[in-house]
Amino acid sequence: MIEITHLKKSFGKQEVLKDVSFKIQKGQVVTILGPSGSGKTTFLRCINFLERAEEGELRIGDTRINLRKASRKEILNVRRRTAFVFQNYGLFYHKTALQNVMEGLVVVQKIPKDEARKRAEAALEWVGLSNRKDFYPSQLSGGQQQRVGIARAVALNPEVILFDEPTSALDPEWVGETLDVIKKVAKKGITMIIVTHEMSFAEEVSDKVVFMDGGSVVEEGTPKEIFTNPKEERTKKFLARIIPQDMYYI
Amino acid sequence: MGKYFDFERFIDTIPKIIPQLSVTFSIVLVSMIVGTVLAIAVAVLRIQRIPVLHQILGIYISFMRGTPLLVQMMVVYYGLPLLVQGLFGININTWSTIIFVDIAFILNEGAFLGEIFRSAILSIPPIQSEAGYSIGMTRLQTFTRIVLPQTIRIIIPSYGVDLIGVFQNTSLVFTIGGVLDIMGKAKTLGTATGHALEAYLVVALIFIILSLILRFLFFLINQKLQYERR
Repeated sequence: MIEITHLKKSFGKQEVLKDVSFKIQKGQVVTILGPSGSGKTTFLRCINFLERAEEGELRIGDTRINLRKASRKEILNVRRRTAFVFQNYGLFYHKTALQNVMEGLVVVQKIPKDEARKRAEAALEWVGLSNRKDFYPSQLSGGQQQRVGIARAVALNPEVILFDEPTSALDPEWVGETLDVIKKVAKKGITMIIVTHEMSFAEEVSDKVVFMDGGSVVEEGTPKEIFTNPKEERTKKFLARIIPQDMYYI
Repeated sequence: MGKYFDFERFIDTIPKIIPQLSVTFSIVLVSMIVGTVLAIAVAVLRIQRIPVLHQILGIYISFMRGTPLLVQMMVVYYGLPLLVQGLFGININTWSTIIFVDIAFILNEGAFLGEIFRSAILSIPPIQSEAGYSIGMTRLQTFTRIVLPQTIRIIIPSYGVDLIGVFQNTSLVFTIGGVLDIMGKAKTLGTATGHALEAYLVVALIFIILSLILRFLFFLINQKLQYERR
């Protein structure tokens, strides 16, 4: 289980997260929705210490960590138990798809190279990219790069995977295949927190949906509650703006 | 006196100068290897913007880039023994001249390459480091395994230009007593025989050949390291 309590973060005078609390059970998939600038991405980045929060506590399993004062050791511990999928893939440019997946296994988890290679190959096969394993990121399409990113995250066997708008940078033609892979990850029973703008995907894959606006959690509930019967005015407005467009695309 | 330029004398001079290439090479090798290590340290420390140290490094770099190498060599050669004597009470006047030359070259390279490294490191997108951190790598692992290899690919062309520059800079070292590189040897030969032109032309020829070889070498390395086009 992962719990974040009273998370606060500002950039200069701009308050990006105003006292956000959040809970996710083991094996759950939670999606975070909200307009741009609502702090979704910052929230995710604070969990992985890619941004340092001003206040807040993180509980992961039995470990409690102060998000502001965490030591290097604690940060490393959290990062080794989580994985992050970036909006812009974040693949290592100078490494092939296979090496990208192997890197964390060999360097961080100290798994022998042969074993790591096998695992990495299996992970790439699982996302449907065995035939691209020796390609460099620059030789792959956006969708393929993101699938490598997902394979890299899954191969690490983390307690939770954080997805930061995994399809927002993709051309429309690659969105489908990437979402399919994320659904596969969900079926594996891995705990996931997903920031996304893909409404129908969120509805299908989530156990819980969190709607954020202006740096706070406005409303949370099951996908059914949020999408068919939102209580808050801001949630209604946001969905009204987003969903017709979404359907128009399909 | 005879002819001002004599081709036979030119040919005869070549084997007299070539052995001194070892001195030239040793200066270049030492200053490039140690200088590169120093440069990476300087670049990383500059990027970290540690107060006081940042300003000190800024002064160091602007001094190294703002004064001629010849002056730097003189300052090291005459100034360093005084400084060491004053600070530690050790007499280093007995050190071989070449050590002072090496130190001056290393300090010079640390500054020039340091700035090349700094801008190259800063050009690596932050997401590369973030991805390293996110899979649980330490800062050192992320730097040495992710950032540095990409940096090296970027700086290869400038590094090659710099290396050729260092070779040419070695032609200054004979001005400090006792260092007999190819230029120093040419000067000695010129003084001894009264015929300087042939010897200097040999030196010029050596520098041209060296720079052509290095340019070609770096062209090949650069080609090989372009992972986008493999």
